[in-house]
Amino acid sequence: MSLLMMSGSGAVYLLAAAGIIGIGVYGLLSADHLLRKLLAMNLLGSGVLLLLVTLASRGGTPDPVSHALVLTGLVVTVSVTAFALALLDRLYRETGEIRIDAASDDPPDPADPADAKP
Amino acid sequence: MTLALDALLALALLALALGAVAGAALFRSIVMFIVFGVVLALAWGRIGAPDLALAEAAIGAGLTGALLLVSYRRLVRTTPRRTPRSRPAARLALPLGLLSAALVLGLGASGFGLEDTTTAGAGTVAVPSTAGQAVLAEMASLPLDNPVTAVLLIFRGYDTLLELTVLLAAYLGARLALGGSPPLSARSAPAALPMVGALLAIVVPLSALVSLHLLHAGSDAPGGAFQGGAVLAAAGVLLVLSGRLRAIGSAPTSQRLLLVLGTLTFLGFALAARLVGAALFTLPGMWAIYLIESALLLSIALTLVLLFAAGGGLAWGRE
Amino acid sequence: MGLNDIASTLLLAVAAFFYLAGTVGLLRFPDVHSRLHALTKADNLGLLFVCLAMALLSGSARVAALLAVVWLLALVASAVSAHLVARRALQFDPQAPAPAEHRAEPPA
Repeated sequence: MSLLMMSGSGAVYLLAAAGIIGIGVYGLLSADHLLRKLLAMNLLGSGVLLLLVTLASRGGTPDPVSHALVLTGLVVTVSVTAFALALLDRLYRETGEIRIDAASDDPPDPADPADAKP
Repeated sequence: MTLALDALLALALLALALGAVAGAALFRSIVMFIVFGVVLALAWGRIGAPDLALAEAAIGAGLTGALLLVSYRRLVRTTPRRTPRSRPAARLALPLGLLSAALVLGLGASGFGLEDTTTAGAGTVAVPSTAGQAVLAEMASLPLDNPVTAVLLIFRGYDTLLELTVLLAAYLGARLALGGSPPLSARSAPAALPMVGALLAIVVPLSALVSLHLLHAGSDAPGGAFQGGAVLAAAGVLLVLSGRLRAIGSAPTSQRLLLVLGTLTFLGFALAARLVGAALFTLPGMWAIYLIESALLLSIALTLVLLFAAGGGLAWGRE
Repeated sequence: MGLNDIASTLLLAVAAFFYLAGTVGLLRFPDVHSRLHALTKADNLGLLFVCLAMALLSGSARVAALLAVVWLLALVASAVSAHLVARRALQFDPQAPAPAEHRAEPPA
């Protein structure tokens, strides 16, 4: 398996990148609060960037094109995060809720006591 | 020995990521995410990407952290209104997470095994991609010494131009999302403390100096417009947090000009090259690079501060 | 191992001890103010020893000067942060539990 062919540090960071991506996906799907979802999305992005740079540094000299792409990716990530936070603010102001359940369009469930009209 | 350091950093990254996703309180998760950003900056330094380390420390950890904490403050009044149902997506979360990790591990490991199939001539360096190979071969003919800056400005100018446009689009989108009204106020107003004044007196001029240095050093050493812009934006964020700057509804013309200055300058040079008959994005010399980078620095800094302050423009002083 | 290496290893060991002390204090002290003590005092001293060790290892005056500036800036930042946190903590009763929004959310 080519895992043995790469340097130790590369393997370590590759494992870390895979783990971070897995954790990001898990967080994105399981989070209830939208701010947590945003955190998980950021983690997912950082994991992907880490993967890119680890692959770019597998030779003797690091690959500058990947570095430039990842730098662009960092700036785009912060832009998206700022925009998402503005959306969250508006969502909270409109609906008063910041959890994905409450902001959904599902009809109220008669069996759920929290859905009972006050 | 260095492997132990890398292993520790990787473990720390994983533990912090877990804490950010599965932490008990949301505040704790946000703080863990900020520390994750700082440790990631260390990891960038270890992998051999010092430009990325600078950018991650300023933008990824610093600015994103400030954005998240301020947003948390505004949204913290939510109370759980109902017991969350177990959504189908939540049940799939763990298996999908494990599956993605395994997939990435497999892809990455096979990526490591790929050999560069270009025939490298004598005296060329071994770089793991054909594009990188071509860039490094061209570096000798450029006045720049930092290959990343060269890629950003000269070889992949479109990417940088569109990146600036993305920043601008995020600012415009945030303005639209907020509907022109100021965001929910954070609960406590900034206090006029003498210590904060002293901090500002020390840190803001130093930040301006460091950002200019990063701009200038970006041609030969790790640095560049983005890192410099992020450091200047950090100083701006400090000024907003301490009440010296505040967000106003709509920006004065000078600030609007500053917002688009970077995009316009870069676009101007790119199109002007076409008028002279050269290819798009051909830059006439180091002076053009300095001009573009300075414009980029100002635009990036102002856009980031406005994104943080969640306003249309900035004004000095309190209400 | 030259004298330089031995000296810097010793300094790093001392720094590690100070960081350990600061972290133990952070985890074990009962309230915000004592935790701030542990954090700012012990961690800044630890940073000082790390900077001294790095300055010795680098062997260049320029790096030593830069590290001194780094340490001073860290000092200023931690002083102001500790001051602000302590002021905020005074507004809450130190014996009361953490405000509602900082408590753990019910398991989602």
